[in-house]
Amino acid sequence: MNLLHNLAFGFEHALTLHNLMYTAIGCTVGTFIGLLPGLGPLATISLLLPLTYSIPTTGSLMMLAGIYYGAQYGDSVSAITMKIPHANSIVACIDGYQMTLKGKCGLALFTAGLSSFIGGTVAIVVLATLAPALGEVAFLFGPTDYCALMLFGFMCVSFVTTGSLLNGLAMAFIGVLLGTVGTDVNSGVARFTMDVTFLADGIGLISIALGLFGITEVVKSLDSGSQLTPFNGKIKLIPTWSEFKRIIPSALRGSVVGSFLGILPGGGPTIAQFAAYAIDKRFSKYKDEIGHGAIEGVAGQAAADEAAARTSFIPLMAIGIPENAVMALMMGAFIIKGIQPGPNMIGEHPELFWGLVASMWVGNCFLLFLNVPLVRYWLSVFKIPFSVLFPSILFFCCIGTYSINNNLDDIFITALFGFVGYMFMRLKLDPAPLLLGFILGPMLEENFRRAMLISRGNFSAFITRPISGTLLGLIALFIAWQVVVFYFQSRKVSTPVAV
Amino acid sequence: MNNMNLVRGLVLMAIALIFGLGALNYSIGHFSRAGPGLFPLMVSCLLFLIGLISVVRSRFVAVVPLSYNMKNIALVLLGLCGFALLSQHLNMILGIVFLVFCTSFAGTSYSVVRNLKISAGLIAIAFMFQYGLGLQLPLL
Repeated sequence: MNLLHNLAFGFEHALTLHNLMYTAIGCTVGTFIGLLPGLGPLATISLLLPLTYSIPTTGSLMMLAGIYYGAQYGDSVSAITMKIPHANSIVACIDGYQMTLKGKCGLALFTAGLSSFIGGTVAIVVLATLAPALGEVAFLFGPTDYCALMLFGFMCVSFVTTGSLLNGLAMAFIGVLLGTVGTDVNSGVARFTMDVTFLADGIGLISIALGLFGITEVVKSLDSGSQLTPFNGKIKLIPTWSEFKRIIPSALRGSVVGSFLGILPGGGPTIAQFAAYAIDKRFSKYKDEIGHGAIEGVAGQAAADEAAARTSFIPLMAIGIPENAVMALMMGAFIIKGIQPGPNMIGEHPELFWGLVASMWVGNCFLLFLNVPLVRYWLSVFKIPFSVLFPSILFFCCIGTYSINNNLDDIFITALFGFVGYMFMRLKLDPAPLLLGFILGPMLEENFRRAMLISRGNFSAFITRPISGTLLGLIALFIAWQVVVFYFQSRKVSTPVAV
Repeated sequence: MNNMNLVRGLVLMAIALIFGLGALNYSIGHFSRAGPGLFPLMVSCLLFLIGLISVVRSRFVAVVPLSYNMKNIALVLLGLCGFALLSQHLNMILGIVFLVFCTSFAGTSYSVVRNLKISAGLIAIAFMFQYGLGLQLPLL
């Protein structure tokens, strides 16, 4: 009953005229930018974050959340209709595009829309029940536990997003180092500022994010030089009853898988999609058709995608630790608005927490409306040639990074990180863990110093406390496993090379 | 030298050295009372270690050549920096025109008329930001 009461309270805030408007704007703009080739959720959110500065806190966070799942959805639409893969719509390209080739594009879009709606709804129930409970657990965490949890998060994100523990960890550590730039909170010493005044407050999150994701993505598209062929097929949206019946079980399976994987550190939409797709491929009644344009291949992954996008808010709002790069960016947005996400947030700002939860469901309804009946209008975005688009994207990157402090010097930082991001891309290093490291770096340092102060410089405190001990044990096991895997792989590879 | 895995390790080591040597300028303190230099130094050491492992590992895996194309990134960076400098010293309208004309060399086709149209559109949007959203842009 308590839950219903809280949700009603949340809807009271989400359904005010202003907040409804902000959610709607967020969803629409997010979908629009998400559709554009090359701009995934990370670039979209950092590009649009400045738009929310002049809006009241609750409304601006609702709008940002709307931008996030709008972008997510826009990705899947461009994946289904034109096989443009973004970081988290790779799975949608498989069966979704196959369905388009078979002339069932409308059905694929309807399936994705409905399944996302189901996935989102399930995830919101999970979010509303689990987040407050997890918040209680988070009060038991001491500084050592926070350190261990963050390291565990780095490891999971590194492994999941880049597939290579070593490269991902390197990126996370570079992020942590970049996070130390600026005035040290404890001693007041200005670190790594090279006596430049505007670096005293540290490097801006948006400057880094726009450089690493926005600029780099644009240059990447320019380098590949591919021209898109806009989708011109017919779209028939309404499914038959037998098709409709096939969507539901698969979408429900995907919702459960997605909700669960969304909570885990390093989890989130990408891994949830792959997991849901794999499960459908194994357990679905129509498993033989999957891979050749089956409804299940679209429904399961779309539901998991949406569910995981919602439940990944749980660690951020309950413990105060973002689990992936998108959530790190969200945390940056919370902090810019003067809200520290964490166990105290639900108690201190109940209208914000429950309002946000309720607005997610409202946003779900908007997306269903935006994407199913109106989808054919969205696709006209692709008639704009990239040669027109990219100078504009670069201009918006400049305005975005400038408007944070009204400081043109920030554009140089963005340009610098654009170059750094390009270099990383060429070296096959994924910058997503860097963003997480950058956000968590100052927290890691603070908690590490505190833990060392309490234990008088004794490292055994990390092992003797049950929570941090367990997490560090898991990290050690994982690293050992990776070493063993590499040992056997290199033996396999090196034999033919020697011959 | 044209080995991506090797270059990657070296780049990581270089970044670690920049931050690690920088951290030595600040007081390190000791673990129970950490100075401002301790934490960056620790993280740099870990990063250096990862770079070292990458370099060693690159000896054991197949060579992947490093491919790069400096033209597009150079044009984009030049456009961005020119935009910032022109906006700082003259005004943003010139900055926008420079940004569009400079970066569009990186595109597949180049057309002066189209560039003028894009510039005009972006300038209009900039004015909209100024008067609609209340952003302070150095437009004039």
